Amino acid sequence: MRTPVIAFVAALVCGSIARASGGLPNPYWAPGSVTATGAKIDVLLNTIFWLTFAVFVATQSVFVYYLVKYRRRAGVRALYSHGNNRLEIVWTAIPAVIFLLLAVVGNRMWLDITSGAPEDALKVNISSYQFGWDMRYAGADGKLGAIEVGKVGLENKFGLSPDDPAAADDFTTMELVIPAGRPVHVYLNSRDVIHSFYVPAFRLYQDAVPGRTITWVWFEVDRPGKFELACSQLCGTGHYNMKAPIRVLPPAEFDAWYAEKSRAALRARGGPPGLAPRVASSVPSDNAP
Amino acid sequence: MNAASIPHTHPIEEAGHGRATPEASRFGMIIFLASEAMLFAGLLGGYFILRWAANGFPWQPGHAWPPDGVEVHLPWRQTLAATVFLVGSSFTYHAAEVAVRKGRSGLFWLVVTLALGSVFIGFQVYEWIHLHHEGLWFHTGGIYGSSFFVITGFHGMHVAVGLALIAWVILRQVFTRCYTPARHVSLNNVGLYWHFVDVVWIFVFTLLYLV
Amino acid sequence: MNTLTAREIPHVDDHAEPGFVRKYLWTYDHKMIGLQYFWTALAFLFLGGGLALLVRYQLGWPNTSVPLIGWLLPSSVASEGAIVPGGYNMLVTMHATVMVFFVVMPLLIGAFGNFLIPLQIGARDMAFPLLNELSYWLYVLSGCVLLAAFFVPGGAPGTGWTAYAPLSADGAYNGTRIGQSLWGVAIFINGLSSIAGAVNYITTVVNLRCPGMTMFRMPLTIWALFITAVLLVLAVPVLSAAAAMLFCDLNFGTSFFKPSGGGQPLLWQHLFWFFGHPEVYIMILPAMGLASEIISVFSRKPIFGYRAMVWAMVAIGFLGFVVWGHHMFVSGMNIALSAGFSVSTMLIAVPSAIKTFNWMGTVWRGSIEFTTAMCFALGFVSMFVIGGLSGIFMASTPVDLFVHHTYFIVAHIHYVLFGGSLFAVFGAIYFWFPKMFGRMLSETLGKLHFVVTFICFNLAFFPMHNLGLGGMMRRIADPPVYEHLKQLQPLNQISSVGAIGLGFATFLLVWNMVAALRRRPDAPANPWHANTLEWTVPSPPGHGNFPVTPTVYHGPYEYSVPGMDQDYLPQNQPAPEGVRLAAH
Repeated sequence: MRTPVIAFVAALVCGSIARASGGLPNPYWAPGSVTATGAKIDVLLNTIFWLTFAVFVATQSVFVYYLVKYRRRAGVRALYSHGNNRLEIVWTAIPAVIFLLLAVVGNRMWLDITSGAPEDALKVNISSYQFGWDMRYAGADGKLGAIEVGKVGLENKFGLSPDDPAAADDFTTMELVIPAGRPVHVYLNSRDVIHSFYVPAFRLYQDAVPGRTITWVWFEVDRPGKFELACSQLCGTGHYNMKAPIRVLPPAEFDAWYAEKSRAALRARGGPPGLAPRVASSVPSDNAP
Repeated sequence: MNAASIPHTHPIEEAGHGRATPEASRFGMIIFLASEAMLFAGLLGGYFILRWAANGFPWQPGHAWPPDGVEVHLPWRQTLAATVFLVGSSFTYHAAEVAVRKGRSGLFWLVVTLALGSVFIGFQVYEWIHLHHEGLWFHTGGIYGSSFFVITGFHGMHVAVGLALIAWVILRQVFTRCYTPARHVSLNNVGLYWHFVDVVWIFVFTLLYLV
Repeated sequence: MNTLTAREIPHVDDHAEPGFVRKYLWTYDHKMIGLQYFWTALAFLFLGGGLALLVRYQLGWPNTSVPLIGWLLPSSVASEGAIVPGGYNMLVTMHATVMVFFVVMPLLIGAFGNFLIPLQIGARDMAFPLLNELSYWLYVLSGCVLLAAFFVPGGAPGTGWTAYAPLSADGAYNGTRIGQSLWGVAIFINGLSSIAGAVNYITTVVNLRCPGMTMFRMPLTIWALFITAVLLVLAVPVLSAAAAMLFCDLNFGTSFFKPSGGGQPLLWQHLFWFFGHPEVYIMILPAMGLASEIISVFSRKPIFGYRAMVWAMVAIGFLGFVVWGHHMFVSGMNIALSAGFSVSTMLIAVPSAIKTFNWMGTVWRGSIEFTTAMCFALGFVSMFVIGGLSGIFMASTPVDLFVHHTYFIVAHIHYVLFGGSLFAVFGAIYFWFPKMFGRMLSETLGKLHFVVTFICFNLAFFPMHNLGLGGMMRRIADPPVYEHLKQLQPLNQISSVGAIGLGFATFLLVWNMVAALRRRPDAPANPWHANTLEWTVPSPPGHGNFPVTPTVYHGPYEYSVPGMDQDYLPQNQPAPEGVRLAAH
């Protein structure tokens, strides 16, 4: 009895891994996954899919079989039975074990996914608002200006301090441009209500909560491409259209884009982005990376 | 137990249905109080989370309560006096119930309860006005003001309802002498409600004023 | 347990027939109060369903003028007949609010709970008849307050039935301060109605059971309603507290949920879902109870595993209080807390699985008659299985990263609430209509209603699984705005067609009921040959229910007992000489 069950579960998992890797099409039309985390999630997703599919087929077909076989026929009486305690124990224990297993596997994956971004990840501050997205990059010095979340608001889009040197050279965009094959670490803010960062191809979702900076989100996209960042938490009348383009560039192209943006930011102004402008007091530096 | 031996327990009244039995009536009041407990659990639980997230408890490092920027403090000594009156009123209500069980009218103790409860409400009203003058209100003082006024407001409303119920009990006893040693269901039920309101106040006072 | 308090009355109808007002509008008779809830909730069903059809039309054919009725829609909802984004949000919000608080709960608990509880436990009426009538009118009042939101400046709230703060807490963000405030007041008043009803039901079940009716001889319907009432008492007040705080944030400048004043947006979610999760069990448990009755009667078999069924419902009720965080896995809530909630959520699937197996065990080796009621009850089991299985995806936190707030969730919700709760309601209508109104419903029309409903339901909601996994978010007014959703649009259209079909199917039910009510009342006392006590009195029962307080001798599921000619044994009849009943 045990061997077929083990073989079945193993087949489920292997099939899931095979399906998940390389973003192969799946039976339920999910967009292909393009991140390493997404691949892991797809293994679990596929396992659960085939498991529930098997349970669905088994229960529904047995149910229909009983309905047909035990339909009312003249002269045939129903069985007078109040149940079977042993059966109750069996069909309590087996689902409990399966569900607990799923919970344990899922939790280990969850703790792994949320365990923290690599040190060398590209840091991007994504600030959401009714109804759009602003991304902020670290600029020439490679240091992202610190976010004081209490200051985030209309007057100070990113919660920056005017005196923060790391923030002075940061540049902003309205599209999320990231390199393929390198980890990206998101610092997620909201200026007003709860929005959320949702990219189905990355298998990622995280609410952006005003008054907090959410820092666990990181991902590494394995190939260049175009995607859309969608807000997936009802945030008002403009929610339906709150999106931003995501461009995943080959690393060299990304580096060039980043350098150009950094230079432009240094030339343009003398203070952190997203604040009311003040008089420029320093000569912009010519130090390009 | 067979059908023939079921006693007739109560006369059928005008509404066409008998009154609920004393046991059922008391049971219903207790279940209702469970729901009231959950109402205050929601309010106080919310308060706990807000204050904890704002580093407002003494055991938290860097704790500040009221939060920085709020200058007004709650007058705990004055409210402690008010608390004594409210707790005392539970004892006097109990004395009224004992009196009725012994065949007396219980009116003296009921009126004392009403008076003590009214003093408590008076203290609360005065405190609200005083704090308002000091600059603390629903929309000032951030979560400090919000939680204080909404929680004490809900409690105060419950006290007011309790006082109305006690007044009703008094009027019924005065005009119909309906509470006898054998039957005093609503007296007991109002008592349960009043004691409950008192116990809730202990929690509110402790969390909002003492901690 | 005190079971002596049901009273004996010498005559059933011992006073003059009441006038129209005292009979239909201000009544203390639980059966009539049940009918008050029944008709009011059905009216709200058509309102909530109509709102859903508007939603589905916009999703199927975005930004086109709604046929026939587009010109009727107010300016907050539509412009030149086409639904506008802010209006779409209002439709979605009000659809869900109406369905949850004004349709499903009142039908299951207000209508069937009221009608059945005293009858099935052998009591004359509820413990507190006046409180019962007050509950109904509080429900009506709350409905009026909610509907008023459509007509105030700013219009109805558009923040979802979940009303997440701070969007819902600040008129500057939502533009519907008055409407959202009315929503909060309506929820609060509705909560009072629910709590009062729950106090009544719990007191009645504990104190007014007739002699011989021990707790473990009660029909599963009563167990289900009893546990539901306990959940109501413990969960609803927390929502009331939250609604009051929200009202204060909106109107008195408090900062419970606003970060600018030190408040916590997540506090709203914790309070709401602490109520919200028991709420979904409140909406499914009575349906499970009703379905269990019908399945047993039309299989002519005892319920398989009665005690297991009871303990499973108790487990669902209890566990229902420790899973609320699974709505908040990706809300910014503490990561470790999410892990804990994932475990409890996976575990709560176990008692539901137990119940499903027991329903299958009940039909196994039965003698099944496919009446309309039975079709809906069996359909309930089938659709509930699908809804339950989809829940496993979301219970797994990493997978929830993918499916959260997508149409996968919407599919799950509707499989359990429509395929589950509403199917059970429909089955219950076909089953108990004769008892409630003294007329039989047409089985032909009923079967047609079932077939059309079953097909259109699956057409409407199954594609939502694919839409969600395909990346379609909830609550978006115009899906093709997003590149990855353009190719999925045909699925949206199929779903919308199914929804329209569902609307038509529901008219079949109304037609059936109206036609039946126009016939003479000639339904027998026990048309289904069932065992529970309501079938031992006329259809409909007289005032006071039982001429003599019944005595119960055994459980409610003694069907096909060997040694008896008759294949049923009502609870108030002892087993005949020489026939042995199994203990359970």
